[in-house]
Amino acid sequence: MKRNVKLIAALLAMMLILLTGCMGGGKPDSGGSGGGADNGGGGASGRTSASGLDISQRVELQFYMLGDAPVDLPLIESEINKMLLEDLNATVKFNFTTWTDWEQKYRLLLTSGQPVDLIFTAEWTQYQAYAKNGAFLALDDLLPKVAPKLYEFVPQEMWDAVRIDGKIQTVPAIWKEYVTFGNVWREDLRQKYNLPIPDSIENIEAYLEGIKQNEPDMIPLAANALFHTPGYYDFKYEPAGVASYGFPYGLYIPYDDPANVQQFWGSEQHLEDLLRMKSWMDKGYMSRNVLTTQDTAHTMLVTGKSALMMGDNPNRWNSTNQDMKSTHPDWELAYYPYPLKKGYATPVHPIHNGFAIPISSPNPERALAFYELMVTDKRYNWLTQYGIEGTHFRVTEEGYYEGLSDTFKREGMNGWAWRNPEYMLFDESFEAVNEIFHELDQIAKPDIFTGFAEDWTPYQAERAALEQVRQQYLHPLEVGLVDDVEAGLRTFMEKAKEAGLDTIQKSYTEQWLHYLKEAGIQ
Amino acid sequence: MKVKDAEYSLLFKILAYVMVTIVTLVCLFPVLLIISGSFTDNESIVRHGFGLIPDKFSLDGYMYVFKYPTAILRAYGVTILTTVVGTALGMFFITMAGFVLQRKDFKYRNQFSFYIYFTTLFGGGLVPWYIMLTRYMKLMDTYTVLIYPGLMTPFLIILMRSFIKSAIPDELVESAKIDGANDFRIYYSIVLRLSMPGIATVGLFLALQYWNDWFMSSLFINDTRKYQLQFYLYNIINTVQFIRDMAISSGVNIGNPPTEAMRMAMSVVVTGPIVFLYPFVQRYFVKGLTIGAVKG
Repeated sequence: MKRNVKLIAALLAMMLILLTGCMGGGKPDSGGSGGGADNGGGGASGRTSASGLDISQRVELQFYMLGDAPVDLPLIESEINKMLLEDLNATVKFNFTTWTDWEQKYRLLLTSGQPVDLIFTAEWTQYQAYAKNGAFLALDDLLPKVAPKLYEFVPQEMWDAVRIDGKIQTVPAIWKEYVTFGNVWREDLRQKYNLPIPDSIENIEAYLEGIKQNEPDMIPLAANALFHTPGYYDFKYEPAGVASYGFPYGLYIPYDDPANVQQFWGSEQHLEDLLRMKSWMDKGYMSRNVLTTQDTAHTMLVTGKSALMMGDNPNRWNSTNQDMKSTHPDWELAYYPYPLKKGYATPVHPIHNGFAIPISSPNPERALAFYELMVTDKRYNWLTQYGIEGTHFRVTEEGYYEGLSDTFKREGMNGWAWRNPEYMLFDESFEAVNEIFHELDQIAKPDIFTGFAEDWTPYQAERAALEQVRQQYLHPLEVGLVDDVEAGLRTFMEKAKEAGLDTIQKSYTEQWLHYLKEAGIQ
Repeated sequence: MKVKDAEYSLLFKILAYVMVTIVTLVCLFPVLLIISGSFTDNESIVRHGFGLIPDKFSLDGYMYVFKYPTAILRAYGVTILTTVVGTALGMFFITMAGFVLQRKDFKYRNQFSFYIYFTTLFGGGLVPWYIMLTRYMKLMDTYTVLIYPGLMTPFLIILMRSFIKSAIPDELVESAKIDGANDFRIYYSIVLRLSMPGIATVGLFLALQYWNDWFMSSLFINDTRKYQLQFYLYNIINTVQFIRDMAISSGVNIGNPPTEAMRMAMSVVVTGPIVFLYPFVQRYFVKGLTIGAVKG
């Protein structure tokens, strides 16, 4: 009996110690920079950095990025910290949210008051909404003081373009790229069967028909409600915005006349388009389970299941092409950018990739100074974008990037935001994309849509209801699965109006026109 | 008379066997598809779909998964650690709580029970809970955060209380008291031994809860070495989800997304060992569950 007592007691004591050990050991890591101030804070008092920043206290910066961490992250982190200790008497911890529930995690990071020093922003992470709600620090005064080099480096128009409520709330990425849409198709099959280049709706249909006739076990169009529909709309019309979901709430805002907001859903053109989608489905260009298919359009192209994809950007086309060539060297993917047909191309808006400092940051000056180093100092930039030279990559004689190891690929830390065009290294295969960018440069015009910060709080409930209606009634129409298209469209419009479409459209139009006036567009 | 009985019982037997076989096949079918999918070449999965026999045999999925074996092994290690420690500690606390709550001489047992039960009805929500764990308890990126929140599940406490109530007669406790045993002695000598079936059941629930947990890793762990196994798997599948849903609008380019075959291989690697372990362990549970069923 007594032995058992001692045994159980010992076992439990051990486990409790284990737990406390972990908790105790965990404390310095967590709680961010506050705890770090105790160790090594002794240092030379009154230390100042190059730009006169007081760095006598050592801090640990918490850096948050989206996506997955590269395998060799600890290696890069220790190299960076070696340099950072000398330059700014600070260490940085790189954190990745992964893609699991990243939106929820992002929201928690910003709203829970957790000490976060630097975090990635983009229009698709709802930068405009968060900025409007005061989640980020205003950088106007801080920039010239602690990061003068960075301030000079980024052009003034870009600083102005990321202003929300008149304040700069993020540091934009400077590399000019285009994420405009385009058609991607199998060039080798096109030539084999002598089909036209899919650069117009008629040619697209001819191409799809040709594929259908000659390759019966392929599904000609790599369709998926989220993929081809926005591509198709972007191709046929000239919306002011990136047509990620067709048009915002069914409103068509033409690029050349943005104050003229038109009702698209339920119009004659809408019916025409839906009828065409139906004809595509009837002719067998899309698979019947297009709404539930789990494959991405890229997978379908790379594995040879499909032969055409609508709505991809040049960068991704190139990497899909490389992917495909590694398993099928004789296949080829060609690209036709929609801007060539539309006559103008909008380069990526500065908001598209940025880094901001949340208001909960305990060390905003140090964080900004560190970010300046990431962008303007070649050692930091190359380490975090490409890895360690010689281990992870090398520079070829022509000045191209050549990857040496899978443990840190090119831009392995998802460094889209801190790219520096002066230091950037490209893969040799990227030349094809650069050519397209040059072509698009000739017809470049500013992006007038992304700067708009939509405030959907006045119609939040209607918005959620509309999304349901859209999923249930519009998606099947958009992929041609509904037999009576006219009746289907009528049903959808009824349901949408019931859900509050008019309220949403009215409020949105007001906000949009207000934004146009403020921004001085047209 | 005798013949009629035999007929019905035979019919019943046949029906029972047929039903059970059908249900078993229905449950088995998806598992077989996953296993066969993990051994198939990825391209043939995309082009021809899944099949019970691999179209084109290939070990590519497994090679991809085992490219960085340390990551998986570490995730296994973390999950095993949290499951073992969590279940042991949790069982200790839950049985104590159950024993105390069912003692008739505990004056405030109703209030305490209500207090514990109340938390299952109303919660503060995700953000306050997150704030408490990260800002006030500073548990970000620790092993503690993986173990601690799941230790006292109210449902299991109530379950344990009912088990102990039915298994331990009050007279036994009273007589032990008369003999001079203190509460702790009564606890481990009498209660633990007699409520083994209950402990087995609750222990199984608790262990499963820890083993399947990925949510804690998702929210609180940034260090990749502390990821739990299920989260590791879920992550890989979610990269593809992200590409499917967001990549068009965000323009983000993630080269080489995980392929179908690789995801199947991943699932097999994560669930395989449990499937092998279970037959050895299950007889203890079955024995434990039925041992107290027939009361003398």
